[in-house]
Amino acid sequence: MKAAHELLIVDDNPADIALAREALNACAYRGQINSVEDGAEALAFLGRRGNYANAVKPDLVILDLNLPKRDGHAVLAAMRASPDLRKIPVVIFSTSQLSRDIARSYELGANCYVSKPGNLTEFFSMMKSIEKFWFGSVKLPPRGE
Amino acid sequence: MSTAATKLQVEHSPQAKPQLRVLMVEDNPLDATLILRSLRQGGFDVNATTVQDEAAFLRALRTHNPEIVLADFNLPGWEGMGAVKVLRREGLDIPLILVSGALGDVSAVECIKRGATDYVLKDGLVRLPEAIRRALEEKHLRQERKRAEEDLASKAAELARSNADLEQFAYVASHDLQEPLRMVAAYTQLLSERYQGKLDADADKFIGYAREGALRMQVLIQDLLAFSRVGRKEQSCCSVDCNAVMRDVLQILEASIKESGATVNYESLPEVWADNTQMVQLFQNLIGNAIKFRGTEPPVISVQAGAQPETPAESKTETKTEAKDHEWLFSVSDNGIGIAPEDVGKIFAVFQRLHSRTEYPGNGIGLAICKKIVERYGGRIWVESQAGGGTTFKFTMPLQPRESKAEASQP
Repeated sequence: MKAAHELLIVDDNPADIALAREALNACAYRGQINSVEDGAEALAFLGRRGNYANAVKPDLVILDLNLPKRDGHAVLAAMRASPDLRKIPVVIFSTSQLSRDIARSYELGANCYVSKPGNLTEFFSMMKSIEKFWFGSVKLPPRGE
Repeated sequence: MSTAATKLQVEHSPQAKPQLRVLMVEDNPLDATLILRSLRQGGFDVNATTVQDEAAFLRALRTHNPEIVLADFNLPGWEGMGAVKVLRREGLDIPLILVSGALGDVSAVECIKRGATDYVLKDGLVRLPEAIRRALEEKHLRQERKRAEEDLASKAAELARSNADLEQFAYVASHDLQEPLRMVAAYTQLLSERYQGKLDADADKFIGYAREGALRMQVLIQDLLAFSRVGRKEQSCCSVDCNAVMRDVLQILEASIKESGATVNYESLPEVWADNTQMVQLFQNLIGNAIKFRGTEPPVISVQAGAQPETPAESKTETKTEAKDHEWLFSVSDNGIGIAPEDVGKIFAVFQRLHSRTEYPGNGIGLAICKKIVERYGGRIWVESQAGGGTTFKFTMPLQPRESKAEASQP
Protein backbone atom coordinates (compact mmCIF):
# COMPACT_ATOMS: atom_id res chain seq x y z
CA MET A 1 0.00 0.00 0.00
CA LYS A 2 1.22 3.49 -0.90
CA ALA A 3 2.04 5.98 1.85
CA ALA A 4 -0.54 8.75 2.25
CA HIS A 5 0.22 11.92 0.32
CA GLU A 6 1.89 14.82 2.10
CA LEU A 7 0.81 18.33 1.18
CA LEU A 8 2.27 21.59 2.47
CA ILE A 9 0.18 24.75 2.19
CA VAL A 10 2.02 28.06 2.70
CA ASP A 11 -0.37 30.96 3.18
CA ASP A 12 -0.30 33.89 5.59
CA ASN A 13 -4.07 33.92 5.84
CA PRO A 14 -5.36 31.23 8.25
CA ALA A 15 -8.81 31.71 6.77
CA ASP A 16 -7.48 30.69 3.35
CA ILE A 17 -5.73 27.66 4.83
CA ALA A 18 -8.96 26.64 6.56
CA LEU A 19 -10.82 27.12 3.30
CA ALA A 20 -8.30 24.95 1.46
CA ARG A 21 -8.72 22.25 4.12
CA GLU A 22 -12.49 22.45 3.73
CA ALA A 23 -12.17 22.15 0.00
CA LEU A 24 -9.75 19.22 0.16
CA ASN A 25 -11.91 17.41 2.71
CA ALA A 26 -14.89 17.94 0.42
CA CYS A 27 -13.11 16.08 -2.37
CA ALA A 28 -11.30 12.79 -2.40
CA TYR A 29 -8.05 13.90 -0.75
CA ARG A 30 -7.10 11.49 2.02
CA GLY A 31 -3.53 12.57 2.71
CA GLN A 32 -1.86 14.76 5.29
CA ILE A 33 -2.31 18.53 5.12
CA ASN A 34 0.43 20.59 6.74
CA SER A 35 0.37 24.37 6.78
CA VAL A 36 2.65 27.24 7.72
CA GLU A 37 1.95 30.98 7.63
CA ASP A 38 5.14 32.66 6.48
CA GLY A 39 8.12 32.09 4.18
CA ALA A 40 10.68 31.53 6.93
CA GLU A 41 8.46 28.88 8.52
CA ALA A 42 8.03 27.25 5.13
CA LEU A 43 11.80 26.95 4.67
CA ALA A 44 12.20 25.67 8.25
CA PHE A 45 9.53 23.04 7.57
CA LEU A 46 11.08 21.97 4.29
CA GLY A 47 14.57 21.89 5.83
CA ARG A 48 13.25 20.02 8.89
CA ARG A 49 14.75 22.59 11.23
CA GLY A 50 13.69 23.80 14.69
CA ASN A 51 10.11 22.89 15.50
CA TYR A 52 9.92 20.98 12.24
CA ALA A 53 12.70 18.46 12.92
CA ASN A 54 10.20 15.65 12.48
CA ALA A 55 8.41 17.10 9.46
CA VAL A 56 7.90 14.86 6.47
CA LYS A 57 9.07 16.09 3.10
CA PRO A 58 5.90 17.06 1.18
CA ASP A 59 4.88 15.64 -2.20
CA LEU A 60 3.44 18.97 -3.24
CA VAL A 61 3.70 22.57 -2.02
CA ILE A 62 0.86 25.02 -2.53
CA LEU A 63 2.54 28.39 -2.16
CA ASP A 64 1.07 31.86 -1.77
CA LEU A 65 3.22 34.76 -3.02
CA ASN A 66 2.45 37.54 -0.60
CA LEU A 67 4.01 36.21 2.61
CA PRO A 68 5.69 37.81 5.60
CA LYS A 69 9.45 37.38 6.22
CA ARG A 70 10.31 35.53 2.98
CA ASP A 71 7.85 35.97 0.14
CA GLY A 72 6.68 33.17 -2.09
CA HIS A 73 9.23 33.90 -4.82
CA ALA A 74 12.07 33.73 -2.26
CA VAL A 75 10.79 30.42 -0.91
CA LEU A 76 10.52 29.05 -4.43
CA ALA A 77 14.04 30.26 -5.32
CA ALA A 78 15.46 28.64 -2.15
CA MET A 79 13.69 25.36 -2.96
CA ARG A 80 15.01 25.31 -6.52
CA ALA A 81 18.53 26.03 -5.26
CA SER A 82 18.42 23.09 -2.86
CA PRO A 83 19.34 19.64 -4.28
CA ASP A 84 17.07 18.12 -1.67
CA LEU A 85 13.97 20.21 -2.44
CA ARG A 86 14.27 21.09 -6.11
CA LYS A 87 12.17 18.14 -7.33
CA ILE A 88 9.13 18.95 -5.19
CA PRO A 89 6.36 20.29 -7.40
CA VAL A 90 5.20 23.77 -6.44
CA VAL A 91 1.78 25.21 -7.25
CA ILE A 92 1.75 28.99 -6.87
CA PHE A 93 -1.66 29.95 -5.48
CA SER A 94 -2.07 33.70 -5.32
CA THR A 95 -4.65 36.45 -5.76
CA SER A 96 -2.11 38.41 -7.81
CA GLN A 97 -3.03 38.71 -11.48
CA LEU A 98 0.07 40.73 -12.31
CA SER A 99 1.87 39.34 -15.31
CA ARG A 100 5.25 40.10 -13.73
CA ASP A 101 4.33 37.92 -10.70
CA ILE A 102 3.27 35.10 -13.01
CA ALA A 103 6.34 35.36 -15.25
CA ARG A 104 8.69 35.52 -12.25
CA SER A 105 7.11 32.40 -10.75
CA TYR A 106 7.75 30.36 -13.87
CA GLU A 107 11.25 31.79 -14.22
CA LEU A 108 12.01 30.55 -10.73
CA GLY A 109 10.71 27.10 -11.57
CA ALA A 110 7.10 26.99 -10.44
CA ASN A 111 5.24 23.98 -11.85
CA CYS A 112 2.11 26.00 -12.34
CA TYR A 113 0.51 29.29 -11.41
CA VAL A 114 -3.09 29.24 -10.24
CA SER A 115 -5.09 32.39 -9.55
CA LYS A 116 -6.81 32.22 -6.19
CA PRO A 117 -10.53 32.55 -7.05
CA GLY A 118 -12.65 35.21 -5.40
CA ASN A 119 -15.70 33.11 -4.68
CA LEU A 120 -16.21 29.94 -2.74
CA THR A 121 -17.63 27.78 -5.52
CA GLU A 122 -14.69 28.52 -7.78
CA PHE A 123 -12.25 28.15 -4.89
CA PHE A 124 -13.59 24.68 -4.12
CA SER A 125 -13.55 23.58 -7.74
CA MET A 126 -10.01 24.94 -8.19
CA MET A 127 -8.74 23.01 -5.14
CA LYS A 128 -10.51 19.97 -6.43
CA SER A 129 -8.82 20.16 -9.80
CA ILE A 130 -5.41 20.74 -8.19
CA GLU A 131 -5.98 17.67 -6.01
CA LYS A 132 -7.22 15.58 -8.89
CA PHE A 133 -4.34 16.50 -11.16
CA TRP A 134 -1.40 16.32 -8.73
CA PHE A 135 -2.57 13.40 -6.63
CA GLY A 136 -4.52 11.56 -9.33
CA SER A 137 -3.17 12.09 -12.82
CA VAL A 138 0.46 12.89 -12.15
CA LYS A 139 3.37 10.62 -11.34
CA LEU A 140 5.10 12.47 -8.50
CA PRO A 141 8.85 12.29 -7.98
CA PRO A 142 9.65 8.98 -6.17
CA ARG A 143 10.08 9.32 -2.44
CA GLY A 144 13.49 9.06 -0.81
CA GLU A 145 15.59 9.59 -3.91
CA MET B 1 -24.99 118.83 1.27
CA SER B 2 -26.17 116.74 -1.60
CA THR B 3 -24.36 113.66 -2.73
CA ALA B 4 -23.75 115.17 -6.13
CA ALA B 5 -22.00 118.17 -4.60
CA THR B 6 -19.73 115.95 -2.51
CA LYS B 7 -18.74 114.00 -5.56
CA LEU B 8 -18.02 117.17 -7.46
CA GLN B 9 -15.80 118.39 -4.68
CA VAL B 10 -13.83 115.18 -4.60
CA GLU B 11 -13.29 115.29 -8.32
CA HIS B 12 -12.02 118.82 -8.14
CA SER B 13 -9.80 118.41 -5.12
CA PRO B 14 -6.10 118.45 -6.07
CA GLN B 15 -5.00 114.84 -6.19
CA ALA B 16 -1.58 113.78 -4.95
CA LYS B 17 0.62 113.60 -8.03
CA PRO B 18 2.20 110.18 -8.56
CA GLN B 19 5.88 110.22 -7.63
CA LEU B 20 7.86 108.80 -10.51
CA ARG B 21 11.45 107.58 -10.12
CA VAL B 22 13.14 108.36 -13.43
CA LEU B 23 16.62 107.42 -14.53
CA MET B 24 17.84 109.57 -17.38
CA VAL B 25 20.71 108.65 -19.65
CA GLU B 26 21.51 112.09 -21.00
CA ASP B 27 24.66 114.17 -21.59
CA ASN B 28 23.01 117.49 -22.35
CA PRO B 29 21.91 119.37 -19.18
CA LEU B 30 19.57 121.58 -21.14
CA ASP B 31 17.81 118.61 -22.70
CA ALA B 32 17.55 117.00 -19.26
CA THR B 33 15.86 120.13 -17.93
CA LEU B 34 13.45 120.26 -20.85
CA ILE B 35 12.54 116.61 -20.38
CA LEU B 36 11.90 117.06 -16.66
CA ARG B 37 9.78 120.10 -17.34
CA SER B 38 7.65 118.18 -19.85
CA LEU B 39 7.11 115.47 -17.25
CA ARG B 40 6.02 117.98 -14.60
CA GLN B 41 3.73 119.65 -17.09
CA GLY B 42 2.34 116.22 -17.91
CA GLY B 43 1.31 115.75 -14.28
CA PHE B 44 4.21 113.78 -12.83
CA ASP B 45 6.00 114.46 -9.58
CA VAL B 46 9.47 113.45 -10.73
CA ASN B 47 12.35 112.10 -8.73
CA ALA B 48 15.12 111.94 -11.35
CA THR B 49 18.73 110.92 -11.57
CA THR B 50 20.84 111.54 -14.64
CA VAL B 51 23.78 109.43 -15.76
CA GLN B 52 26.02 109.39 -18.84
CA ASP B 53 27.81 106.05 -18.89
CA GLU B 54 27.34 102.40 -18.18
CA ALA B 55 29.03 102.29 -14.77
CA ALA B 56 26.92 105.15 -13.42
CA PHE B 57 23.82 103.63 -15.01
CA LEU B 58 24.44 100.33 -13.24
CA ARG B 59 24.99 102.10 -9.92
CA ALA B 60 21.83 104.16 -10.32
CA LEU B 61 19.77 101.10 -11.10
CA ARG B 62 20.60 99.82 -7.62
CA THR B 63 20.49 103.06 -5.65
CA HIS B 64 17.69 104.87 -7.43
CA ASN B 65 15.50 101.87 -8.24
CA PRO B 66 13.92 103.60 -11.26
CA GLU B 67 10.46 102.86 -12.60
CA ILE B 68 11.37 104.13 -16.04
CA VAL B 69 14.50 104.86 -18.03
CA LEU B 70 14.65 107.76 -20.50
CA ALA B 71 17.72 107.38 -22.69
CA ASP B 72 19.26 109.63 -25.31
CA PHE B 73 20.17 107.73 -28.43
CA ASN B 74 23.63 109.25 -28.88
CA LEU B 75 26.01 109.94 -26.03
CA PRO B 76 29.71 110.85 -26.19
CA GLY B 77 30.88 107.72 -24.41
CA TRP B 78 27.86 105.41 -24.65
CA GLU B 79 24.59 104.92 -26.48
CA GLY B 80 21.00 104.64 -25.34
CA MET B 81 20.56 101.13 -26.67
CA GLY B 82 23.45 100.04 -24.41
CA ALA B 83 21.10 100.71 -21.50
CA VAL B 84 18.58 98.25 -23.02
CA LYS B 85 21.28 95.56 -23.02
CA VAL B 86 22.18 96.28 -19.39
CA LEU B 87 18.52 96.05 -18.31
CA ARG B 88 18.15 92.76 -20.13
CA ARG B 89 21.42 91.39 -18.70
CA GLU B 90 20.33 92.34 -15.20
CA GLY B 91 16.94 90.70 -15.72
CA LEU B 92 15.11 93.96 -14.97
CA ASP B 93 11.69 94.65 -16.45
CA ILE B 94 11.96 98.45 -16.53
CA PRO B 95 10.54 100.20 -19.59
CA LEU B 96 13.06 102.27 -21.52
CA ILE B 97 11.97 105.15 -23.73
CA LEU B 98 14.44 106.57 -26.17
CA VAL B 99 14.35 110.37 -26.13
CA SER B 100 16.44 111.61 -28.96
CA GLY B 101 17.04 114.57 -31.20
CA ALA B 102 17.87 112.69 -34.35
CA LEU B 103 16.30 109.36 -34.98
CA GLY B 104 15.00 108.20 -38.35
CA ASP B 105 11.80 106.18 -38.47
CA VAL B 106 13.54 103.04 -39.63
CA SER B 107 16.03 102.96 -36.81
CA ALA B 108 13.26 103.79 -34.30
CA VAL B 109 11.41 100.64 -35.31
CA GLU B 110 14.70 98.76 -35.12
CA CYS B 111 15.28 100.05 -31.56
CA ILE B 112 11.84 98.90 -30.46
CA LYS B 113 12.53 95.52 -32.00
CA ARG B 114 15.73 95.35 -29.99
CA GLY B 115 13.94 96.04 -26.72
CA ALA B 116 13.23 99.74 -26.29
CA THR B 117 9.65 100.34 -25.20
CA ASP B 118 9.04 103.50 -27.19
CA TYR B 119 10.77 106.52 -28.64
CA VAL B 120 9.99 110.20 -28.42
CA LEU B 121 11.68 112.95 -30.39
CA LYS B 122 13.11 115.83 -28.43
CA ASP B 123 11.08 118.32 -30.46
CA GLY B 124 7.91 116.39 -29.59
CA LEU B 125 8.38 116.14 -25.82
CA VAL B 126 4.72 116.94 -25.25
CA ARG B 127 4.10 113.32 -26.19
CA LEU B 128 6.46 112.01 -23.49
CA PRO B 129 4.13 111.90 -20.44
CA GLU B 130 1.59 109.89 -22.39
CA ALA B 131 4.32 107.52 -23.64
CA ILE B 132 5.45 106.98 -20.04
CA ARG B 133 1.92 106.33 -18.82
CA ARG B 134 1.41 103.81 -21.56
CA ALA B 135 4.75 102.10 -20.87
CA LEU B 136 3.97 101.81 -17.16
CA GLU B 137 0.46 100.56 -17.88
CA GLU B 138 1.82 97.94 -20.29
CA LYS B 139 4.31 96.81 -17.69
CA HIS B 140 1.53 96.56 -15.13
CA LEU B 141 -0.60 94.46 -17.50
CA ARG B 142 2.41 92.32 -18.36
CA GLN B 143 2.99 91.58 -14.69
CA GLU B 144 -0.69 90.92 -14.07
CA ARG B 145 -0.81 88.49 -16.95
CA LYS B 146 2.35 86.76 -15.79
CA ARG B 147 0.95 86.44 -12.28
CA ALA B 148 -2.33 85.09 -13.64
CA GLU B 149 -0.48 82.60 -15.83
CA GLU B 150 1.68 81.41 -12.94
CA ASP B 151 -1.39 81.16 -10.80
CA LEU B 152 -3.19 79.11 -13.43
CA ALA B 153 -0.19 76.85 -14.00
CA SER B 154 0.19 76.14 -10.30
CA LYS B 155 -3.54 75.47 -9.95
CA ALA B 156 -3.41 73.10 -12.92
CA ALA B 157 -0.41 71.28 -11.46
CA GLU B 158 -2.17 71.05 -8.10
CA LEU B 159 -5.28 69.68 -9.75
CA ALA B 160 -3.32 67.12 -11.75
CA ARG B 161 -1.52 66.04 -8.58
CA SER B 162 -4.72 65.69 -6.59
CA ASN B 163 -6.36 63.79 -9.46
CA ALA B 164 -3.43 61.41 -9.61
CA ASP B 165 -3.56 60.98 -5.82
CA LEU B 166 -7.26 60.26 -5.97
CA GLU B 167 -6.80 57.75 -8.76
CA GLN B 168 -4.00 56.04 -6.85
CA PHE B 169 -6.16 56.04 -3.72
CA ALA B 170 -9.14 54.50 -5.51
CA TYR B 171 -6.91 51.82 -6.95
CA VAL B 172 -5.09 50.94 -3.74
CA ALA B 173 -8.22 51.10 -1.62
CA SER B 174 -10.24 48.90 -3.92
CA HIS B 175 -7.35 46.48 -4.43
CA ASP B 176 -6.63 46.11 -0.72
CA LEU B 177 -10.32 45.92 0.20
CA GLN B 178 -10.77 42.93 -2.07
CA GLU B 179 -8.64 40.60 0.03
CA PRO B 180 -10.55 40.71 3.36
CA LEU B 181 -13.81 40.89 1.46
CA ARG B 182 -12.95 37.66 -0.32
CA MET B 183 -12.91 36.00 3.13
CA VAL B 184 -16.25 37.50 4.14
CA ALA B 185 -17.81 36.38 0.88
CA ALA B 186 -16.32 32.88 1.01
CA TYR B 187 -17.21 32.20 4.63
CA THR B 188 -20.73 33.57 4.47
CA GLN B 189 -21.26 31.32 1.48
CA LEU B 190 -19.79 28.37 3.38
CA LEU B 191 -22.06 29.19 6.33
CA SER B 192 -25.13 29.40 4.16
CA GLU B 193 -24.34 26.18 2.32
CA ARG B 194 -23.43 24.16 5.37
CA TYR B 195 -25.97 25.46 7.87
CA GLN B 196 -28.93 26.24 5.63
CA GLY B 197 -32.04 24.97 7.48
CA LYS B 198 -30.01 23.73 10.47
CA LEU B 199 -30.30 26.87 12.53
CA ASP B 200 -33.56 28.78 12.49
CA ALA B 201 -35.30 30.84 9.81
CA ASP B 202 -33.83 34.11 11.15
CA ALA B 203 -30.28 32.73 10.96
CA ASP B 204 -30.81 31.68 7.34
CA LYS B 205 -32.16 35.15 6.55
CA PHE B 206 -29.30 36.97 8.32
CA ILE B 207 -26.64 34.86 6.67
CA GLY B 208 -28.36 35.47 3.34
CA TYR B 209 -28.23 39.26 3.83
CA ALA B 210 -24.58 39.15 4.88
CA ARG B 211 -23.77 37.07 1.83
CA GLU B 212 -25.66 39.34 -0.56
CA GLY B 213 -23.96 42.38 0.95
CA ALA B 214 -20.53 40.87 0.52
CA LEU B 215 -21.22 39.85 -3.07
CA ARG B 216 -22.54 43.28 -3.92
CA MET B 217 -19.51 44.90 -2.38
CA GLN B 218 -17.25 42.69 -4.45
CA VAL B 219 -18.99 43.89 -7.60
CA LEU B 220 -18.76 47.51 -6.44
CA ILE B 221 -15.05 47.18 -5.82
CA GLN B 222 -14.52 45.56 -9.18
CA ASP B 223 -16.46 48.41 -10.77
CA LEU B 224 -14.36 50.96 -8.93
CA LEU B 225 -11.21 49.20 -10.08
CA ALA B 226 -12.53 49.16 -13.64
CA PHE B 227 -13.27 52.89 -13.35
CA SER B 228 -9.84 53.77 -12.03
CA ARG B 229 -8.24 51.51 -14.65
CA VAL B 230 -9.67 53.70 -17.43
CA GLY B 231 -7.26 56.42 -16.35
CA ARG B 232 -4.39 54.10 -15.44
CA LYS B 233 -4.42 51.93 -18.51
CA GLU B 234 -1.55 52.69 -20.82
CA GLN B 235 -2.76 54.26 -24.01
CA SER B 236 -2.43 51.77 -26.80
CA CYS B 237 -4.11 53.91 -29.41
CA CYS B 238 -4.56 52.88 -32.96
CA SER B 239 -7.05 53.52 -35.68
CA VAL B 240 -10.20 51.78 -34.48
CA ASP B 241 -12.98 50.96 -36.91
CA CYS B 242 -16.20 51.68 -35.02
CA ASN B 243 -18.13 49.27 -37.28
CA ALA B 244 -15.91 46.44 -36.01
CA VAL B 245 -16.41 47.74 -32.48
CA MET B 246 -20.18 47.56 -33.01
CA ARG B 247 -19.93 43.97 -34.27
CA ASP B 248 -18.04 43.02 -31.09
CA VAL B 249 -20.54 44.84 -28.91
CA LEU B 250 -23.54 43.16 -30.57
CA GLN B 251 -21.91 39.80 -29.99
CA ILE B 252 -21.25 40.57 -26.31
CA LEU B 253 -24.85 41.78 -25.86
CA GLU B 254 -26.35 38.99 -27.99
CA ALA B 255 -28.34 37.42 -25.15
CA SER B 256 -29.99 40.62 -23.97
CA ILE B 257 -30.66 41.74 -27.55
CA LYS B 258 -32.47 38.47 -28.24
CA GLU B 259 -34.33 38.53 -24.95
CA SER B 260 -35.56 42.12 -25.39
CA GLY B 261 -36.20 41.84 -29.14
CA ALA B 262 -33.97 44.85 -29.69
CA THR B 263 -33.04 46.22 -33.10
CA VAL B 264 -29.68 47.96 -33.30
CA ASN B 265 -28.99 49.98 -36.44
CA TYR B 266 -25.64 51.43 -37.45
CA GLU B 267 -23.95 52.09 -40.73
CA SER B 268 -20.70 53.43 -42.05
CA LEU B 269 -19.27 54.55 -38.72
CA PRO B 270 -15.87 56.21 -38.93
CA GLU B 271 -12.48 55.13 -37.67
CA VAL B 272 -11.28 56.88 -34.54
CA TRP B 273 -7.89 57.14 -32.91
CA ALA B 274 -8.37 55.35 -29.59
CA ASP B 275 -7.87 52.20 -27.56
CA ASN B 276 -9.97 49.38 -29.01
CA THR B 277 -10.98 47.87 -25.66
CA GLN B 278 -12.14 51.23 -24.36
CA MET B 279 -14.20 51.90 -27.48
CA VAL B 280 -15.91 48.52 -27.02
CA GLN B 281 -16.51 49.41 -23.36
CA LEU B 282 -17.99 52.77 -24.36
CA PHE B 283 -20.43 51.41 -26.95
CA GLN B 284 -21.26 48.38 -24.83
CA ASN B 285 -22.27 50.58 -21.90
CA LEU B 286 -24.36 52.93 -24.04
CA ILE B 287 -26.15 50.22 -25.99
CA GLY B 288 -26.48 48.02 -22.91
CA ASN B 289 -28.20 50.94 -21.16
CA ALA B 290 -30.51 51.53 -24.13
CA ILE B 291 -31.62 47.91 -23.89
CA LYS B 292 -31.85 47.87 -20.11
CA PHE B 293 -33.89 51.06 -19.78
CA ARG B 294 -36.41 50.11 -22.44
CA GLY B 295 -40.09 50.97 -22.44
CA THR B 296 -42.94 48.64 -23.26
CA GLU B 297 -41.96 48.48 -26.94
CA PRO B 298 -38.95 46.40 -28.05
CA PRO B 299 -35.90 48.67 -28.09
CA VAL B 300 -34.93 50.35 -31.37
CA ILE B 301 -31.43 51.70 -31.10
CA SER B 302 -29.62 53.74 -33.70
CA VAL B 303 -25.93 54.60 -33.75
CA GLN B 304 -24.81 57.37 -36.07
CA ALA B 305 -21.75 59.48 -36.62
CA GLY B 306 -20.70 62.40 -38.72
CA ALA B 307 -17.86 64.87 -39.01
CA GLN B 308 -18.49 68.05 -37.13
CA PRO B 309 -17.00 71.31 -38.43
CA GLU B 310 -15.25 73.61 -36.03
CA THR B 311 -17.62 75.83 -34.16
CA PRO B 312 -17.24 79.53 -35.00
CA ALA B 313 -15.97 80.31 -31.50
CA GLU B 314 -13.11 77.87 -31.90
CA SER B 315 -12.15 78.88 -35.41
CA LYS B 316 -12.05 82.62 -34.90
CA THR B 317 -8.31 82.77 -35.54
CA GLU B 318 -8.58 80.89 -38.79
CA THR B 319 -10.01 82.19 -41.99
CA LYS B 320 -13.40 80.86 -42.92
CA THR B 321 -12.19 79.17 -46.08
CA GLU B 322 -9.80 77.03 -44.07
CA ALA B 323 -12.50 75.76 -41.70
CA LYS B 324 -12.23 71.98 -41.71
CA ASP B 325 -13.76 68.99 -40.01
CA HIS B 326 -12.93 69.22 -36.38
CA GLU B 327 -14.22 66.13 -34.62
CA TRP B 328 -16.59 63.19 -34.95
CA LEU B 329 -20.01 63.54 -33.44
CA PHE B 330 -21.54 60.22 -32.44
CA SER B 331 -25.09 59.67 -31.31
CA VAL B 332 -26.71 56.63 -29.75
CA SER B 333 -30.46 57.04 -29.59
CA ASP B 334 -33.17 54.77 -28.27
CA ASN B 335 -36.92 54.66 -27.71
CA GLY B 336 -36.62 53.80 -24.03
CA ILE B 337 -37.99 55.27 -20.82
CA GLY B 338 -35.95 58.46 -21.12
CA ILE B 339 -34.47 60.57 -18.37
CA ALA B 340 -36.33 63.32 -16.52
CA PRO B 341 -34.74 66.77 -17.09
CA GLU B 342 -33.91 67.13 -13.38
CA ASP B 343 -31.87 63.91 -13.51
CA VAL B 344 -29.89 64.68 -16.65
CA GLY B 345 -27.11 66.36 -14.69
CA LYS B 346 -26.55 63.42 -12.37
CA ILE B 347 -26.19 60.46 -14.63
CA PHE B 348 -22.45 60.64 -15.32
CA ALA B 349 -21.48 60.54 -11.63
CA VAL B 350 -19.87 57.44 -10.14
CA PHE B 351 -22.36 55.05 -8.51
CA GLN B 352 -25.25 57.32 -9.40
CA ARG B 353 -28.45 55.35 -9.92
CA LEU B 354 -31.87 56.74 -10.74
CA HIS B 355 -33.83 53.56 -10.10
CA SER B 356 -34.07 50.96 -7.38
CA ARG B 357 -32.03 47.83 -7.78
CA THR B 358 -35.17 45.74 -8.16
CA GLU B 359 -36.45 47.92 -11.02
CA TYR B 360 -33.16 47.94 -12.91
CA PRO B 361 -30.03 46.15 -11.73
CA GLY B 362 -26.61 47.81 -11.85
CA ASN B 363 -24.24 49.90 -9.80
CA GLY B 364 -24.27 53.18 -11.69
CA ILE B 365 -20.72 52.92 -12.94
CA GLY B 366 -21.33 52.50 -16.69
CA LEU B 367 -21.88 56.12 -17.69
CA ALA B 368 -19.12 57.33 -15.37
CA ILE B 369 -16.77 55.02 -17.27
CA CYS B 370 -18.16 56.29 -20.61
CA LYS B 371 -17.47 59.87 -19.58
CA LYS B 372 -13.97 59.04 -18.43
CA ILE B 373 -13.18 57.24 -21.67
CA VAL B 374 -14.54 60.00 -23.92
CA GLU B 375 -12.80 62.75 -21.97
CA ARG B 376 -9.57 60.82 -22.05
CA TYR B 377 -9.48 61.29 -25.81
CA GLY B 378 -10.41 64.95 -25.55
CA GLY B 379 -14.09 64.43 -26.39
CA ARG B 380 -17.30 65.42 -24.60
CA ILE B 381 -20.37 63.38 -23.78
CA TRP B 382 -23.87 64.58 -23.01
CA VAL B 383 -27.45 63.41 -23.14
CA GLU B 384 -30.60 64.71 -24.76
CA SER B 385 -33.68 63.13 -23.31
CA GLN B 386 -37.15 63.52 -21.90
CA ALA B 387 -38.87 61.20 -19.47
CA GLY B 388 -40.85 58.75 -21.60
CA GLY B 389 -39.48 60.21 -24.81
CA GLY B 390 -36.43 58.12 -25.51
CA THR B 391 -32.83 59.06 -24.98
CA THR B 392 -30.00 60.20 -27.22
CA PHE B 393 -26.46 60.08 -25.94
CA LYS B 394 -24.05 62.20 -27.92
CA PHE B 395 -20.31 62.24 -27.70
CA THR B 396 -17.43 63.63 -29.70
CA MET B 397 -14.11 62.09 -30.58
CA PRO B 398 -11.27 64.04 -32.15
CA LEU B 399 -10.34 63.25 -35.72
CA GLN B 400 -7.23 61.15 -35.68
CA PRO B 401 -3.97 62.98 -36.18
CA ARG B 402 -3.04 63.05 -39.86
CA GLU B 403 0.48 61.66 -39.47
CA SER B 404 -0.88 58.77 -37.40
CA LYS B 405 -3.52 58.15 -40.05
CA ALA B 406 -0.81 57.40 -42.57
CA GLU B 407 0.97 55.06 -40.18
CA ALA B 408 -2.14 53.11 -39.42
CA SER B 409 -3.23 52.61 -43.01
CA GLN B 410 -4.35 49.08 -43.71
CA PRO B 411 -1.89 46.88 -45.61
